[in-house]
Amino acid sequence: MARIIGGIGTSHVPTIGVAYDKGRQEDPVWAPLFDGYKPVAAWLAEQKPDVLLFFYNDHATTMFFDLYPTFALGIGERFPVADEGAGLRNLPDIRGDVEFQAHIGESLVNDEFDMTFFQSKPIDHGIASPLPLLWPHAPDWPGTVVPIAINVLQYPLPTARRCYRLGQAVRRAVESYPEDLRVVVVGTGGLSHQIHGERTGFNNTDWDMEFLETFRDDPERLTSLRHADWVRLGGAESVEQIMWLAMRGALGAEITEVHRNYYLMTTTAMTVVAYEDHPPVPAASDREPVAA
Amino acid sequence: MFTQNPQTAGIEALTGTYVFDLRTCNRTLAFNRFFWNMIRPEYRQAFWDDEEAAMTAAGLKDEEKALVRARDWLGIVQYGVNFFVLEKWARVVKKTNLEVYAIMRGETLEDFMQTRMVPHAR
Repeated sequence: MARIIGGIGTSHVPTIGVAYDKGRQEDPVWAPLFDGYKPVAAWLAEQKPDVLLFFYNDHATTMFFDLYPTFALGIGERFPVADEGAGLRNLPDIRGDVEFQAHIGESLVNDEFDMTFFQSKPIDHGIASPLPLLWPHAPDWPGTVVPIAINVLQYPLPTARRCYRLGQAVRRAVESYPEDLRVVVVGTGGLSHQIHGERTGFNNTDWDMEFLETFRDDPERLTSLRHADWVRLGGAESVEQIMWLAMRGALGAEITEVHRNYYLMTTTAMTVVAYEDHPPVPAASDREPVAA
Repeated sequence: MFTQNPQTAGIEALTGTYVFDLRTCNRTLAFNRFFWNMIRPEYRQAFWDDEEAAMTAAGLKDEEKALVRARDWLGIVQYGVNFFVLEKWARVVKKTNLEVYAIMRGETLEDFMQTRMVPHAR
């Protein structure tokens, strides 16, 4: 059966994509960010997941406010990386596994999460900003992506608790798939930042640290926060951290943090954290033969 | 009759923060769509060719056109445009997000960057 072997929380700042494309990995102001992803990329190379399942948000790129879904799952063998106003990026299409995506969708709907489904649509920096820092892309990506978009732009947003429960339902969906796939769940966004209005530039590192600790050890506590609490504590756009809670819901009760990097350069506390379920799922090479 | 979403109650007390909700979006959909369209090369070209014609074709109101002409980034947000469509237009008029952030705070880019952890970052 398919298994969730770990989780990643990562910022999805679009400027990361711009810096990546311009080759600024060694630039002293950017190196603390890019270097911080290297251990996570190495962990993924070692764990060899077949699938990265992303909880991310579309930034009103692929979906516009005339029909903006609360939860949307992408179905497709290929998703182009979106043009967001500055032209196309030099990245291969994101790959997908239609049978696995369809199974996740059917399981979620039967589990009372009434998803919207999108096909043949581009994906924006919600995934495309961090993806090349996690997985190599030459000549092509080493695995497939399940994209689950969450509305964090237009209120009413789903509650933090609803996102956590979506993650729990995703775990049930993954574990009911017969193929022996290794899946890493990824929650994108955050941490503290506000990028609209006069309060732009708000950060709260104390809260970010408290969030990361509570997220790891007592995530249920975070599910009672209202959107206004996230906005007050971490800035308006940090409310997107409810997508991390979806990732957390898909992990086990006890998790181990295997890597963390936190870099507040200008306006967003750019963060990447990798988690393993405790006890960890055996590595690919240690797999026991599947009983007939 | 207005009813308060209990999830967002209290945000109004955070000065300089604007809730983008269904009511806002209903009032400003065409204006938001104008900025959203900047993800398409033909709309970017139409804007570069003739801003006024592009705004008229998009059905913008006089007040909205004035905000665009004035490059009034904060005014556009206060009017009810979501920042994530606005940043697509920022690419078209060759403004970085950091420059837009400084303008929304009423600061020069240099002054804004002095408030940041890595002031020389660009």
